[in-house]
Amino acid sequence: MHQEIAGIQNLEQGVSLSQDAFRRLKKNKMAMIGLLVLLFFIVIALLTPWIAPYSYEGQNLELGATSPSLKNWLGTDTLGRDQLTRVMYGSRISLAVGFIATAVALLIGVLWGATAGFLGGRVDAIMMRIVDALYALPFTIFIILLTVIFGNSLILLFMAIGAVEWLTMARIVRGQVLTIKKQEFVEAAVSMGLSPWQIISRHLIPNVLGPIIVYTTLTIPSVILLESFLSFLGLGIQPPQSSWGSLISGGVESMEEYPWLLIFPGLVLSITLFSLNFLGDGLRDALDPRASKD
Amino acid sequence: MYLFIIRRILQSIPVLLLVTAVTFFMVHAAPGGPFSQERNVPPEVIKRLNQRYHLDEPMWQQFFSYVGNLLKGDFGPSFKYPSHTVNDLIVAGFPATFELAFYATIFAVLIGLIAGVIASLKPNTIQDYIPMSSAMLGICLPSFVLGPLLLLVFGIWLQWLPVAGWGQIPGDKILPSITLGASYAAYIARISRGGMLEVLSQDYIRTARAKGLSTARIVFVHALRGGITPVISFLGPAIAGLLAGSFVVETIFQIPGLGRFYVQAAFNRDYTMIMGCTIFFAFLIVVFNLLSDVILVWLNPRLRQQVGGGH
Repeated sequence: MHQEIAGIQNLEQGVSLSQDAFRRLKKNKMAMIGLLVLLFFIVIALLTPWIAPYSYEGQNLELGATSPSLKNWLGTDTLGRDQLTRVMYGSRISLAVGFIATAVALLIGVLWGATAGFLGGRVDAIMMRIVDALYALPFTIFIILLTVIFGNSLILLFMAIGAVEWLTMARIVRGQVLTIKKQEFVEAAVSMGLSPWQIISRHLIPNVLGPIIVYTTLTIPSVILLESFLSFLGLGIQPPQSSWGSLISGGVESMEEYPWLLIFPGLVLSITLFSLNFLGDGLRDALDPRASKD
Repeated sequence: MYLFIIRRILQSIPVLLLVTAVTFFMVHAAPGGPFSQERNVPPEVIKRLNQRYHLDEPMWQQFFSYVGNLLKGDFGPSFKYPSHTVNDLIVAGFPATFELAFYATIFAVLIGLIAGVIASLKPNTIQDYIPMSSAMLGICLPSFVLGPLLLLVFGIWLQWLPVAGWGQIPGDKILPSITLGASYAAYIARISRGGMLEVLSQDYIRTARAKGLSTARIVFVHALRGGITPVISFLGPAIAGLLAGSFVVETIFQIPGLGRFYVQAAFNRDYTMIMGCTIFFAFLIVVFNLLSDVILVWLNPRLRQQVGGGH
């Protein structure tokens, strides 16, 4: 009952709801810090080819590994390559995988969930059974299998990670669609003769945008983590390209003598994951006040 | 209840069959045969190898004989180490992996539950913030960063604990178990806090409080049973992550476990080993999901009635 009233109010004042949500988000300090840090990293990653202090491959074998200094802010690795430059280029790959693979997951998950929820009945049962069955599969293992078989291309990594991360999104969207599809505006749309696709894309998806945004923000860190995990094992991004995961893996090899080679990429990865998680939590509190009541 | 268990077991069979089929056909669709790495092999030898591993038979025939052998519990020979079967390698690697996952789970559940319950007792106070921000730290520090850091600090700098191995030096199981369990402890802390908060606001808890029961009694006797349900439903699927996480931890700490064998098999393109391990892992995951479902139903009388009476 309470939920219904809230739902009706949301419909009447769609714009003010998002304004209201943004106001709530601004009050959440951790989420705002997360957002700023994230924007900072994204801007740096985008500008890397122009602002990187050294060239990406530039080796200086005589220099070898050095501690952080004024010339090389984060030190150099065993081949004398500038660590800051490598972390910056690594960010490009890690963030790109994070955003693109999440977009793939988003697309599949939202369409799957909305279709199942809206059509209902037997179609819904079959579609969600498939999701249940897929949930039981060992996904990390499957991605490793995929990379072994089809080689380690970046495109494959996007597809493979995206293809396994959509399940929860589908469940969330379906649940939301089930609750709103009984409301009058959907019945009105049906009685006006709109096609299912029009109803799903124009009426249902916009109304479940809140949970979609929240869950997307929380999917990005798990995707970044998955890619780093594979690259750490040597099964993801291959040299000469590097991501945070492969930089960390390189750092581990020489951490006894040169701990900064492990610490800096690890720090950047952890800070990014922190920011995304805080932002996601903040968005959930802002967009879905009911979920955060406790 | 029994009907429910039987139904869930029957539902698992198609899942396992699907995993087997997908794995099998993916591996066989791989470009480049398993022996393409050895360059100077005479064609007769390749032919013999193909015969030995039945690679010259039609695909479907290979699949059925593979499934037939699986049902007998035979995963076939390893491609890379002809003297070993995949069974040998699984038997050799699984005990360490299982033990590691077991200790990690114990660590995660203990630390996670304690932190979650403590936080839930006084929400939005310092008693809530400290465990919950530590949990956030645990979630955001991936095992492949946490592990090397722990190794660096406790193994190399302080020299308190051994840096590698499994069961050879006392204390060498501590760091790997903590590394693997840390992020699960963090998730469990968050989930159990949420679960406890929901239970603690229920009427029967208020009644218990009104009766003047102590906080400890309310938590342990009344609230925990309901509060840990979400933790149990998390644990089943978490086992999948735990097994995958063991790849990294076993690599970092040089533990001779199944995860490390799997990663090596992936590098070596040891096809039968990859196939066998994938199916074995899938089997484990299905079993643990089943267990967590059964425990959930068993803990929740309302659910028990539903599955018992509904069919």
